[in-house]
Amino acid sequence: MLEYVLKRVATMFVTLFAVVLLTFILMHSVPGGPFTAERKLPEQVERALIQKYKLDDPLYKQFFDYLKGLARLDLGPSFKYEGRTVNEFIREGFPLSARLGLLSVGFTLLTALPLGILSAVKNGKWQDILVMFIATLGITIPSFVIATALMYVFSFRLGWFPVFGVKKLNGYVLPVIALSGYSLSFVARLMRSSLLEVMGQDYIRTARSKGLSESAVIIKHALRNALIPVVTILGPTIAGLITGSFVIEKIFALPGMGVHFVTSIANRDYTAIMGITIFYATILVAMVFLVDIFYVMIDPRIKLGRES
Amino acid sequence: MLDNALLWEKVGHSEEAMEEIAGVHRSYAQDVWFRFRKRPSAIGGLAAVLLLLLFAGFGPMFTGHSYSEQNLSFVNIPPRFTAWTLPGGSSGVQEYAYITQSLKLIRVSGGGRLLAAIPKAGDDAQNKRILFASSNASSSNAANSQGLVAIDYSDKERGMVLTDEAGKMLPKKRMLNKSYLLGTDSLGRDLLTRLMYGARISLTVAFVAAIINLLVGVIYGGISGYLGGNADNIMMRIVDIISTIPLTLYVILIMVLLDSGFLSIIVALSSVYWVSMARVVRGQILALKEQEFVLAAKTIGTRSFHIITRHLIPNALGPIIVTATMLIPTAIFVESFMSFIGLGVSAPMASWGTMCNDALETMKSTPHQLFAPALAICITMFAFNFIGDGLRDALDPKLRK
Repeated sequence: MLEYVLKRVATMFVTLFAVVLLTFILMHSVPGGPFTAERKLPEQVERALIQKYKLDDPLYKQFFDYLKGLARLDLGPSFKYEGRTVNEFIREGFPLSARLGLLSVGFTLLTALPLGILSAVKNGKWQDILVMFIATLGITIPSFVIATALMYVFSFRLGWFPVFGVKKLNGYVLPVIALSGYSLSFVARLMRSSLLEVMGQDYIRTARSKGLSESAVIIKHALRNALIPVVTILGPTIAGLITGSFVIEKIFALPGMGVHFVTSIANRDYTAIMGITIFYATILVAMVFLVDIFYVMIDPRIKLGRES
Repeated sequence: MLDNALLWEKVGHSEEAMEEIAGVHRSYAQDVWFRFRKRPSAIGGLAAVLLLLLFAGFGPMFTGHSYSEQNLSFVNIPPRFTAWTLPGGSSGVQEYAYITQSLKLIRVSGGGRLLAAIPKAGDDAQNKRILFASSNASSSNAANSQGLVAIDYSDKERGMVLTDEAGKMLPKKRMLNKSYLLGTDSLGRDLLTRLMYGARISLTVAFVAAIINLLVGVIYGGISGYLGGNADNIMMRIVDIISTIPLTLYVILIMVLLDSGFLSIIVALSSVYWVSMARVVRGQILALKEQEFVLAAKTIGTRSFHIITRHLIPNALGPIIVTATMLIPTAIFVESFMSFIGLGVSAPMASWGTMCNDALETMKSTPHQLFAPALAICITMFAFNFIGDGLRDALDPKLRK
């Protein structure tokens, strides 16, 4: 187990290093410096700026400086806003995005799992058809369309929820639904197919022939194994929900990370784009790592070490 | 010596006939098509995609507008509106008027065609009215029929109404916009034409990206799977690393680098999304290459390139086609997503994502501008997903008996 964890930690760092390297190269191959603007700066000012941000250093040295900064969890200064750092952007934006993401994770799990189970148990009946219809809608309709549709119906037409902002608690309702639409449908579908597969296995017949009640068979025997594939995709799902909210934040005008990211793109604020990308990637990689570890712990069929 | 004729009995024709296979021979493609067309959703998806291609390819010829043509007097007009009957219709044809959101008056024909803006005659702020000279432009004695009408905005409850000079409310009726079937956007451009051009962009991006991803993925996965061993290990680690990174982020980074535009969307999409294809192909090849027919090909000295292209890839075609079909909706989604956050094609070109984005701010007053592109995206996504699902079931070797 320890060996496996260490190996996974090592690959995690390799991945993160690749991410940093790739973003760094991409952002430094943009034609023109970060200070080339329509309004030409005086030469001395430009030189001073370049010196201040050490842009005249050779590229590999800049990269090592950046890595050193990362080791101290310092993502560097913003290129567009004098005296502000990328860390500040993240500190301002991330709490809201994280709250939104975690609420969506909760909402996804609380609705998708029961719906998927219901759908599998009532296989072929109207409940199954209804749930799968909704799930297909959720998978095919892009989140920004869901978000705008929800906003139009529930905020403008019915006036049940605020149009934007999260001053009141019910401001979270629509963003959370719109954000979880895709993952909810995906998890529900996976839960259904995985439970259906397990229900066809021999040990379920054994459990039934012992005379166990149907609910006992499902809860005690089938569900435990059926949950394993669901757990596998939880890592990317959670990370996606926490980080994937640019569009939702933009539509509902919530001042989260996504808004900072989109503004940085519009401003061509390269350090900010780079920093936020790396931050997002780190969350994602860490989530996948945690889930992988958890996965090994819950699935008795996976044997590590000697066999593999 | 024994007589053969005594020993052996002659088999009659009837028994031969019994051995014959009665069913009609079906080729693999026919087989797939047979199973595919049994699914209503798949056939529906296919029909929708064909219609969409016609809509995008030939539609703009029939709308009579171009995607960039602006008409600033006809701004933000919905596909259905309330028209007020203009007085003085006795002289000839009855004409109507539509009150725009910016409190202008547009003359409308009885059939719902937008004719021209009616000139403003003055403000009557005291009575909360705006006066317009509604004289029929086509009538010869314009001076005679100097009929004034007024937009009356005095009553909040009632909203804006059109009255005649004396202040009497004119009769109104709902009519469909015949000049612009889906209405116009905030610059007075025809939404239907823009939707068709948007379809061209979205579909081109989707198909080109899918084809490039298909080629790259098949080549990469094919080589990795066929070589196996360390080469496979290294190549798949690279794929692992690429796929742990959120792909949308990388598409965004590449778009920032290349500056937004049609070509850079394709480059961005095709440099990132081939990994799933590579995985699928590699898995298939890995399983196939251990089979006897590959060994047979090797024994007779077939070159590796030939084995991959002639023996392995054709056998893995089913999953490859399904994955490629599923790439199309992904590409459409990412394109509209990029356009939506402002990284898409640049104005005056239209894509469904940019149209949604443009419409977002005025969603409350002009929801029609948002509905049309959003619905188009949804229908397309559905259609391609249904086709993909249908193909998966039709091509799945597990279901073949």
